[in-house]
Amino acid sequence: MNSLVLLLLIIAGGALLSYFGHRINQLLGNITVFIVALIIPIYWFTQVDFTETVSLTISGFHLEWGYNMYGKLFSMIVMILSPLALIYAIGYMKDQKKLATFYFSFLFSILGMTGILMSRDFVSLFIFWEIMTWSSYLLVIFLGKDVEKTGIKYMVFSALGAYAMLMAIVIINNNTGSMMLADYFTAFGGFSLQTKLLTGILLMFGFALKSAVMPLHVWAPGAYSNTPMAYTSVFSGALSKMGIYGLGFVVVNLFAHANMSIVGDVLAWLGAITAVLATFSAIFQDDAKKLLAYSSIAQLGYIVTGIGIGTELSVMAGLYLAILHAAFKGVLFMAVGAVERQAGSTDMTVVSGLVRKMPFTFFASLIAIIALAGIPPLGGFVAKWMLYESLITNGNFLMVIMIFLSSTAAFLYCYKFLFGLFLGQQEPEFDHVKEASPLMVVPMILLSLFLMVTGAYPGIVLKYIAAGMTNLGFHDVSWQMSVLTNTWGDSVNFQHIFLAVVVVFVAFLIFLTWRGYKHSTKVSTKDISVSGEMIKPEDNMTYSKDFYKPFERVLQPILKWKINKYYDEFGKGLEALFDFMRRIYTGNGQTYAVYVITFLVILLVFSKSIFGY
Amino acid sequence: MEGIGYKILGAVLTTILAFVVGMFYGGFSRKIIARIQNRVGPPVWQNFLDVLKLLFKKTSVRYGVMHHLAPLWMITMSVTTLMFIPILKDGLFFTNLNFSGDLIFLLYIMVFGSLGMALGAGATGNPNTAIGVSRGLTQMVGFEIPWVMALVALMIQYKTTSVTGLMDIQSQSGTWMMFSSPFAFIAALLAMPGMFRYSPFDIVGAPQELASGPVSEFGGKYLSTMMTSGSIFAFVKLTLYVDLFMGGASNLIVLVLKTFALYLYPVLWGAVSARFRTEQSVRYFWGWPAFFGFIALLYAAF
Repeated sequence: MNSLVLLLLIIAGGALLSYFGHRINQLLGNITVFIVALIIPIYWFTQVDFTETVSLTISGFHLEWGYNMYGKLFSMIVMILSPLALIYAIGYMKDQKKLATFYFSFLFSILGMTGILMSRDFVSLFIFWEIMTWSSYLLVIFLGKDVEKTGIKYMVFSALGAYAMLMAIVIINNNTGSMMLADYFTAFGGFSLQTKLLTGILLMFGFALKSAVMPLHVWAPGAYSNTPMAYTSVFSGALSKMGIYGLGFVVVNLFAHANMSIVGDVLAWLGAITAVLATFSAIFQDDAKKLLAYSSIAQLGYIVTGIGIGTELSVMAGLYLAILHAAFKGVLFMAVGAVERQAGSTDMTVVSGLVRKMPFTFFASLIAIIALAGIPPLGGFVAKWMLYESLITNGNFLMVIMIFLSSTAAFLYCYKFLFGLFLGQQEPEFDHVKEASPLMVVPMILLSLFLMVTGAYPGIVLKYIAAGMTNLGFHDVSWQMSVLTNTWGDSVNFQHIFLAVVVVFVAFLIFLTWRGYKHSTKVSTKDISVSGEMIKPEDNMTYSKDFYKPFERVLQPILKWKINKYYDEFGKGLEALFDFMRRIYTGNGQTYAVYVITFLVILLVFSKSIFGY
Repeated sequence: MEGIGYKILGAVLTTILAFVVGMFYGGFSRKIIARIQNRVGPPVWQNFLDVLKLLFKKTSVRYGVMHHLAPLWMITMSVTTLMFIPILKDGLFFTNLNFSGDLIFLLYIMVFGSLGMALGAGATGNPNTAIGVSRGLTQMVGFEIPWVMALVALMIQYKTTSVTGLMDIQSQSGTWMMFSSPFAFIAALLAMPGMFRYSPFDIVGAPQELASGPVSEFGGKYLSTMMTSGSIFAFVKLTLYVDLFMGGASNLIVLVLKTFALYLYPVLWGAVSARFRTEQSVRYFWGWPAFFGFIALLYAAF
């Protein structure tokens, strides 16, 4: 059978098997999920033939599925992150109820994502998009927290995006007579300006909404925090990239090549603004989940900026950031989930000092935070370097400053995340905390290793990115294993950087540890220098509330604008309008009789202009 | 093999040079500030004595691996940054690895050490260190803006992102960038006291308030490593400024003279300034220095 169809059947079958397995017995269900989680990537990496296509005709619609390099690039993100997240979920969801629905929805969202990436026509794209949306919606409301506020909000916004896409698809079909993506791309040049803008912007609306670009991001903080953390790693890591996938097509393939790069510029500006404002919001969050959610929005802003600018280096930067973001956000959400499970809370004003209890989780989140902050020698710097270089060589100096501002401010929430959860005072109420189970720790460590390796050898990933970019219209994208060059000829050699850092680190480590380490005693965090006071063990010396109050005072004017307020006002306005219209239904039979008679009278009086005789 | 040998020798020599010069500058600054405050002040070589004394002190307590590694991160950062900056314009020993990195890399590697120290300081659990770190990071957002604006203006104006490229342009055209990109220079200069954490931006390590902030739990070898790293880093920053704005240096004497001339600015101004609160310093940096940075960007673009 065609390997692509088999792939989809495996995922769907895995979903059903996990559902029934968990209905029967939790252990059986866990084993099923584990096996499915391993089979899917193994099958994808070894057996799938990427040159095959599938053609179906269902009730007059011609569906076609097949891979191109660009879709393969994003599928790699899905195929690597999802199995690790599934294995993590086995450990994370151990004592929860309704696990059957959880795994069913999880695997169906993976099905949706895989389907999107192999769709070659709009109908299957839309079908799989909707599958992905409703299965993730089921997971957002899984825990039953704040269903009205976050779940409904997510559904409404996703529906808005989907309907926008549907409108665009219908208009495209009207104009080209076919549903194929390829036909849309070739015919785009011949459209009128109006149609170009209409279809492009409608499609972009749907994609940008999934990528949480401001001002369409308001569903994201709630949705990312209320989902079980096992799924949030996939939600934030892979699902948001589906929007990037679409944006890449629309902005780069279509607009940039049709000499309408102003659309890309507007998108890039939106991305930069998103990055700055979301970073500022992230800094002042007390809940680690919300902090990571806003941080995801900010990182997606970088990616969108990279894609919006549209030059070779910037698109490479955007795609590279997309891959890295999936990895490090996956780790961070997994780490927060581990902390939540072991310590009971993710509020940073409550939890503190877990570094000695959960060292592996700390190590993985440390690597992920370093990658997020973009500090050499890890992979995040590679992506940031490419982004800055492309912006500078392109001359967008204001945007560079905004991205820099966002990056520097990102250090603040990075430190807050690590300090609030892991470092700081060890309080007695968390003495019972143990390291998370290996099922949860091993995926985190594996992803951290990936981040470390790509820091020295970014070429490993660049190979696939360069191949994927051919589908976006860039040909012969050059890349090297360790050296990156910008258009002015300046280059950075990452292998040297990594080597230099490691050598110096080891040299001074030997120097510091050689004598003296054994003579000192390890003490608890209560044993600190406090200028002569005596701290009792029950004194709470944790500094975590209002962690960045001075910065908050500086940003006071900006933080007052909340986009949520505008949406709420708009919603209230609509409600008032509907409330007014409700009065038509008085419940009184005589009023309805009056309506009917009035309607007939109007028909009679104006029959000439309505019916023509 | 010869190349590698010279490179390693050059790396070690550069580190020693940076250490010695940085320590002396620290000593000079203490002497100058003391004289301004009508005191005698410690001798110029006092920093060396401090480092030696600390080196031989035994540390009796430790707080875990992160705490042990924190000074390590700092010194790794300082030395690594040193490797990627051309100390002299050309020459056998002191150009090091500057062909493998560029300005953006330098910008980011400078944060690496502070992050490491922040993490190690956080591992001790002392609330003073945490407050100091949060203030330090907030201030960093402040001064980075004019500093980055100045650098981006330079990069756009001369279409290169490598430090050697900028130095070459200066030697070719014969004028220092101080004069050909004046606004960038002013913005970078105004951002300099923030980078050095000198008064009025020294609230991070306020001794009277925070027990020296982030360094309060480090003693003995750790503190000596941090002092060394601090002095090397001061030298690194000064050299970077000289390379970018004052045409670099072709021999060590000229380099020392230029860097010392530049160093006098934060020292002298700091000696007579009162300390800003954190939000005041951020607002200051986002005011006039950012304005000059913005002018520099416009000047570079048109």
